[in-house]
Amino acid sequence: MPSNPILETRLLTKRFPGVTALSDVTFDLRSGEVHGLCGENGAGKSTLIKTLSGIHPHGSYEGGIFVDGAEAHLRSIADAQAAGIAVIYQELALVNNLTVAENIFLGNEPTRLGLIDWDKVYTDAANLLKRFKLNIDPAARVGDLGTGLQQLVEIVKALTKKSRILILDEPTAALTEAEVEVLLQIIRGLRADGISAIYISHKLDEIFAITDRITVLLDGKSIVTLDTEQTNSGEVIRHMVGRPIEDLFPRRRSKPGETLLSVKNLTVANGEGHTILHDISFEVRAGEVFGIGGLMGSGRSETLMHIFGAWGDRLGGEVLLAGNSTRNQTPRSAINNGLVMVTEDRKRYGLNLDKSIGFNLSLSSLGEISHGFIDQNAEVTRNREMFGSLRVKAPSLETTVGTLSGGNQQKVVIGKALLTNPDVVFLDEPTRGIDVGAKLEVYEFINRLTAEGKAVVLVSSELPELMGMSDRILMLAEGHVGGLFTREEATQERLLAAAIKFHKDPLTV
Amino acid sequence: MKSSKINVRDFSLFIAIVLVWVFFSWQIPDFVSARNLSMLSIELSTTAVASLGMLLIILLGHIDLSVGSAIGLTGGIASVLIFQHQWSAPAAMLVALLVGITLYTLMGFIIAKERIPAFIITLGGLLIFKGVFWKVIGNQTIPVKAGENANLLSILTTYYLPAWAGYALVALIIVALVIARIRSRAKRRGYGFEVESGELVFSKLFVTSQALILAVIVLGRFRGVPLSLTVLGAVAFIIWVITNHTRFGRYLYAIGGNEEAAVISGVPVMAVTIGAFIIAGITATITGFMQTAYSGASTTTTGELMELDAIASCVIGGTALAGGRGTVAGVLAGAFLIDSLMNGMTLMAVSPEMKFVTRGLVLTLAVWMDVRLSRRAS
Repeated sequence: MPSNPILETRLLTKRFPGVTALSDVTFDLRSGEVHGLCGENGAGKSTLIKTLSGIHPHGSYEGGIFVDGAEAHLRSIADAQAAGIAVIYQELALVNNLTVAENIFLGNEPTRLGLIDWDKVYTDAANLLKRFKLNIDPAARVGDLGTGLQQLVEIVKALTKKSRILILDEPTAALTEAEVEVLLQIIRGLRADGISAIYISHKLDEIFAITDRITVLLDGKSIVTLDTEQTNSGEVIRHMVGRPIEDLFPRRRSKPGETLLSVKNLTVANGEGHTILHDISFEVRAGEVFGIGGLMGSGRSETLMHIFGAWGDRLGGEVLLAGNSTRNQTPRSAINNGLVMVTEDRKRYGLNLDKSIGFNLSLSSLGEISHGFIDQNAEVTRNREMFGSLRVKAPSLETTVGTLSGGNQQKVVIGKALLTNPDVVFLDEPTRGIDVGAKLEVYEFINRLTAEGKAVVLVSSELPELMGMSDRILMLAEGHVGGLFTREEATQERLLAAAIKFHKDPLTV
Repeated sequence: MKSSKINVRDFSLFIAIVLVWVFFSWQIPDFVSARNLSMLSIELSTTAVASLGMLLIILLGHIDLSVGSAIGLTGGIASVLIFQHQWSAPAAMLVALLVGITLYTLMGFIIAKERIPAFIITLGGLLIFKGVFWKVIGNQTIPVKAGENANLLSILTTYYLPAWAGYALVALIIVALVIARIRSRAKRRGYGFEVESGELVFSKLFVTSQALILAVIVLGRFRGVPLSLTVLGAVAFIIWVITNHTRFGRYLYAIGGNEEAAVISGVPVMAVTIGAFIIAGITATITGFMQTAYSGASTTTTGELMELDAIASCVIGGTALAGGRGTVAGVLAGAFLIDSLMNGMTLMAVSPEMKFVTRGLVLTLAVWMDVRLSRRAS
């Protein structure tokens, strides 16, 4: 094990007005090491990354950052890049309308006689992609690639900048299991080249699969650094939440009742006329959690969005909501018919970030509290009740939603949906990017909903979550039904086999 | 919980208004004469009514470039029907109102349904309405009344409330404001929300009441409170109720803040967009009547460039051009600043060139401040 720290922080403290985001953080990254960084949202991971990458410049914090043993004064992102530090963010920084090769060399184009040497751009890009065994066409438009492949392109791009230290911030949030495996292989390959990485993820199985050591942050403090081989996920979680968690998926079964939603032979095309969903049928009953899984692009979200009335043109099939046919569904009519949806991308589809918690909570259910004018008393009463039962961590209903952590934002989105008093609740990746504690609260919510006799449809790309929380699981593959499993029948292998049923080569799609 | 925070944006607008007033009163004593203030209040009525309609459009994240031409056109239709066709004023104004509503409904429909940027559709509106307007008045000057008898259209800017009515009205407004303030404070405290400190609330109310009383006294020294100012008051009250106390108003903010999220939340985006344009059509028509009445006749330049003053009032008043943020009070203050500037510059005989430059600078400065302050907030 190489031992010299290539990057180190000593007693790093970063204060914002009214809050100490980092307090005496001590952390070191060895050469050729993959170092996992774990912590709940708000534990200080983002702040630490921003400090290491020059976004919070030298002078705005106390303590020191050392690169190769010498104190580094990183005043900008450019400084950090010059020191060999590259950050790959959750949100992609690629230009959709440029090709893969153009993106890889963006801002770094090889030139000849002052003009861009396009031959070199494309041959170099092709070589790089080949080196990582990526089957991506360098001339493909980035916007045409799936999110997973885009993420891989972003990593390749970072490597062209002679980066020695890669910081990967939730790199697999949008990746399928197969893509994750490719990514992990790439990172392992980098380690052999002497490149070090800081790997941040909520998914502990990945952390354990790839890292050499793990540092846990809690409330801005570095709690502990563990050798990956000598610890286990239970111990890491205990450090992360500061309390033991016995069961990660506390699903309590309720007795299934009548059928609330039934989908028959649904075939749907997207806006450009391509058929995306083929002949999909399933039924969801009261008191049941119906899981839908599949690889990225398998049509999970599209299925929900279509039934909810927010996406696609129906070519055939039928959707019955509580026995009534829903032909020209809009989100509004869906909500009126007792169906509500919590979308995957909460910032884009879920929230008004500049507005207060109260504004967001009541938005979908204003009809019930306004008779010409909005009944302010009723609104505040209902919002307050929901605010309390969701246990949103915020000073008041008037707090701006944008200032909340991901988990608390997600609770607001869920609260907005529940205030419509639905019979069927669609949850699309409800725990993506939120911390362990908040995840548990979301699961508790699901239990409460089914106990009240509501039906929950849960879409998740994490198989353990899907298997842990669902009563039945539908796997989609390329827009077709790949298989339907009861909780007892479901194993990782079976589900995956169903997910790739129609795939020729999962990585090139 | 108490808070004595004063909003930077509100405060700088307040300071700007004070500075403008101090400057003009020092340069030209006539600026604060009863006669000029009376004129200023009528000018404010027209700009502010147009701006309040614009507020709804901008809250959605759209823009209305056609309002200046619509003001000319609706005023023109009413004048032509009255002067050339001897219609009664109410009938003529009703027809003009229907035209205004129809045109705005159409624009709103195209923008909401076909998803064409409002910038383009209303730019088309600006040119088309202007062409139709000139056609309607035949490029002539059409008086707002046939003969000497005043009518509903002409009195809009020539009628003044009797002194007792002016005082009664202002007393009523102050009482209403105080009661509303006290009630909302008690309510908010009941909800456990933050409330402004009592001192701040009192001083705000005190300054507002003083200003209102002073305004009535000064206006009374000329002819009294102009009818147009009460029209503005009514429009402002209605728009305030709409934006603060109705579902429709809430949806305006939701759509402007995040349209995709609004759709998923079940907000009927198309209906709300068309609704906002219909209201803007009504305010544009009311402005058309007042603006035409103020000049005494409809001419080819009636309403010209008022779209820019309306947009400027909104932005100066803290309305975000991206949508989702803005208040009635802000827009009123913004319009007040713009009209004070324009009126003062006219009195100082500033050249039209410099007036353009000043208007441009004020608008640019306001947007720049808006961007700076929003950035700091996030």
